[in-house]
Amino acid sequence: MATKLNPGSELRDLYASESVRLRQDFLRSGDGPAAVFGRTALVDSIASRLWLELISPEIEGPRDFAVVALGGYGRRWLFPYSDIDILFLHAGGAMERGLKDRIARFSQQLWDLRLKLSPATRTLAECEKFDPNNVEFAISLLDCRYLAGDRELFARLHDQVIPKLVSRESRSIVQRLTDLTRARYNKFGNSVFHLEPNVKDGPGGLRDYNLAYWLALIAAMEESSGWPNDKELLPPWLRERFDAARDFLMSVRCFLHFRHGRDDNALAWAAQDEVAEEKIGAPRAASLTASEWMRIYYGHARLVHRVAAQLLEEFPAARPSLYRQFQNLRSRLSNAEFAVVDGRIFLQREEALQDRDLPLRMFRFMARHGLSLSSATEHQMEEVLPSLAAAPPKGAELWHYLQEILVAPHAAEALRAMHSLRLLTLLLPEFQGIDSLVIRDYSHRFTVDEHTFVAIENLHALRKSQSKWDQRYAELLDEVEQPDLLYLALLLHDTGKGAKSDSHVTASVEIAAGCLARLDLDAPDRETVLFLIARHLDLSAALRRDIFAPETICMVADKMGTPERLKMLCLLTYADIKAVNPEALTPWKAENIWQLYIGTANYLMKSADERVRADADDDVMTHLRTLTPAAGKKLDSFLNGLPRRYLRTQAASDVIRHMDLASRLGEDPVQLELTRGRHWYELTLVTMDRPFLFARMAGALAAWGMNIVKAAAFSNGAGVVVDTFFFTDRFRTLELNLPEWERFKASVHDVLLDKADLERMLRDRLRSEKNVAPKVNVDTRIEIDDSSSLQSTLVEVIAQDRPGLLYRISSQFARENCNIEIALIETEGQMAIDAFYLTSGGTKLTPEHQERLRAALLAELASK
Amino acid sequence: MTKVEAVIQTSKLDAVKDALHEIGVEGMTVLEARGHGRQKGHTEFYRGREYTVDLIPKIKIEMVVADEMAEKVVQTVVAAARTGKIGDGKIFLSKVDDAIRIRNDERGDSAL
Repeated sequence: MATKLNPGSELRDLYASESVRLRQDFLRSGDGPAAVFGRTALVDSIASRLWLELISPEIEGPRDFAVVALGGYGRRWLFPYSDIDILFLHAGGAMERGLKDRIARFSQQLWDLRLKLSPATRTLAECEKFDPNNVEFAISLLDCRYLAGDRELFARLHDQVIPKLVSRESRSIVQRLTDLTRARYNKFGNSVFHLEPNVKDGPGGLRDYNLAYWLALIAAMEESSGWPNDKELLPPWLRERFDAARDFLMSVRCFLHFRHGRDDNALAWAAQDEVAEEKIGAPRAASLTASEWMRIYYGHARLVHRVAAQLLEEFPAARPSLYRQFQNLRSRLSNAEFAVVDGRIFLQREEALQDRDLPLRMFRFMARHGLSLSSATEHQMEEVLPSLAAAPPKGAELWHYLQEILVAPHAAEALRAMHSLRLLTLLLPEFQGIDSLVIRDYSHRFTVDEHTFVAIENLHALRKSQSKWDQRYAELLDEVEQPDLLYLALLLHDTGKGAKSDSHVTASVEIAAGCLARLDLDAPDRETVLFLIARHLDLSAALRRDIFAPETICMVADKMGTPERLKMLCLLTYADIKAVNPEALTPWKAENIWQLYIGTANYLMKSADERVRADADDDVMTHLRTLTPAAGKKLDSFLNGLPRRYLRTQAASDVIRHMDLASRLGEDPVQLELTRGRHWYELTLVTMDRPFLFARMAGALAAWGMNIVKAAAFSNGAGVVVDTFFFTDRFRTLELNLPEWERFKASVHDVLLDKADLERMLRDRLRSEKNVAPKVNVDTRIEIDDSSSLQSTLVEVIAQDRPGLLYRISSQFARENCNIEIALIETEGQMAIDAFYLTSGGTKLTPEHQERLRAALLAELASK
Repeated sequence: MTKVEAVIQTSKLDAVKDALHEIGVEGMTVLEARGHGRQKGHTEFYRGREYTVDLIPKIKIEMVVADEMAEKVVQTVVAAARTGKIGDGKIFLSKVDDAIRIRNDERGDSAL
């Protein structure tokens, strides 16, 4: 044996002094890889010294025994406070017994140096045996490196045992890697864009880098049954960026280890401030704020995560056979443009990239079907981005694609992929300001852009949720007439956080206004989106009040204006709060939002008949007068006495059009306008009020086989009614026959002027139609409220929707001498929800009249 | 040491918090709660369905203070939380055996 060792004086001093030097070098240079490789070399030299002192006077002796570096140490990645994984490899039997003491002393010396040693002792045969309860050992062998001892023994391990083990057990190894990865992601927020990420174990951290390397290595070993060339594991176009990300993360992890004095890899806010000040990983930057530095971090982490996730997705062994069957089914989604293989999108023809709309069509495809891009397709997208930047899709064309992406069930995934490839910020530069933006807030978990995607995801997820609360909100979502506008508002609602402004809400509205103008949205749609953004904190703020207090409900109702806006804002609030962090939307909050919603919705319905006064000076009136300066008294007399609800629900352009129709009543007493809306047909009637008018209108539509889904009927002080009916064309009469439009209008015109036999038309229609049993039975319910309105009696009818229902209800009103001041008609599935503000002889209905009406309605609706 | 548990209206949280800070109470725990006393709930109808609210949303504030502070805390909460209507809430007092600061093992009043 060699001279007696005194680690207290020699190795301890060596380790201490070299550690100080490595630390100083790092603080000076910020070079993580150098520090890491330096520490590895230091520990290598210590291990060699100990080998020579305690095991053998020759570095390659004795036979059948070797010491091997594993895991991070094997990779030469010894961070300042990393564990040191060592394998004592031997031939077994007597050899082990003979070496036991020396192995113990070797290990003890390292522990005495305060090195966190994780030793393992195995024979070659034991290394080759796969232990399903310790797959981590098999994984650590992938990074094995010779330190000292029998080179031939090590060569057998490296060249024979490990390739054989991997080829045989790749499925189990990769399955375990998948499980570990999933658990890791769950623990660290399932997002790269965590405000305080873990640079080792979080998504996009160094563990993901290792994962990508292991998966690529295992796949190559499976194919060749040997060790591949490291440089060929990833395509060249990716390798440089991937390794740059690795070096960056290594420097950050070194910094954190030195800062914390232990193996603590959490990049908390205080550490972010310091790492930015030191410009770690960005030495050439002039100066960096923590927020700017974090953007660099997220850029690297996003790439590492994407590569790791793609390799995991592409590895067949990672997925159980049922999943593969599902993915094979999804291959049937392939079309002329896109091939779907194992859930990943490939381009059928590369030349198709010359079509500048192809990327948007691809992301729309992705959003519809929940697929991911193959790495080849991602690379192709990156290559085509510069030419796309020169002539990007814009205006209504861009909005058309965005609409379809936003409302698709996997919109968030598609948007994330677009954002990751820089396509989203190319098309919507407004999004650039919140790219990887950190806003320090103890309740928020994610960067602002990620928060936005999570919010969109939350809304889409409502439809699949089994929770009682989510199902209520899901029903609400199904009622929203223009969900695309809701999702667009969510996408843009926090863009103002990237602006230097006292109020991010004001800034978001300003930024969104520019975006919406560029997308060529119609004025009413723009107003809706801007309203949602401007008010996106209002419902949350109202939760801090007494949500059942009339003052609170009145205040909220006043801000919302219409039930549709209330609905959309309620859903936006739900999605926004839930995206703050997974615990933010407590059941307590969800219930309170819901209670506030229904209280306000009921209030809006019951207060619908508050009337406009033409001499009032409010924003809406002022705006209308500005748009029609010549109209003067004509506008005033048209608006005077109309319900405020009319002004809130009609765009200014519609109000002006209705006013024009009213001015032509002298030429034709029945003015009709028929248009095709996005979801339904719209028939607008302007005429003088008279008995049975609403009923005859409803009857005419029913006689033509139209299904009324919504209607709003208003009248002004002069007795001019403005009724709009939204209907679906059940038998595609109008859709398939353009000339029928005029015939239809002429027919309705005649019915309203009593020139056509409505009863006969209805009888003919009913005779020609089959009776179909309803899928859902709805009980008839009639609620009469005499207190909500000062002028009218509110009658709400909930009944089974069927052809002619509205005609029957409104005819009954007319027979009972009730005048419809306002009608608000909605349909929810097979449920008709109709609210009528009625008067009789210019006043509310007496209690006796109410009861007569109730009995008459019930009898009418009970009859076939 | 005395534990003070105050069940108050949600709309009074900010006012009560500010008032407690002014008298030097910095540590408190705030919990989302539901409940009712004599204030009963109500029923709301929406789209033909009945939604009964029998447990009203409330906020519960818990804090442990030195015995000699307890009465001042009670009066402060009452003053800030009171509206005079049913539903204002209640305050409960109980004795605490000990308090320990996790960071440095301090005990008793100095841990508060």
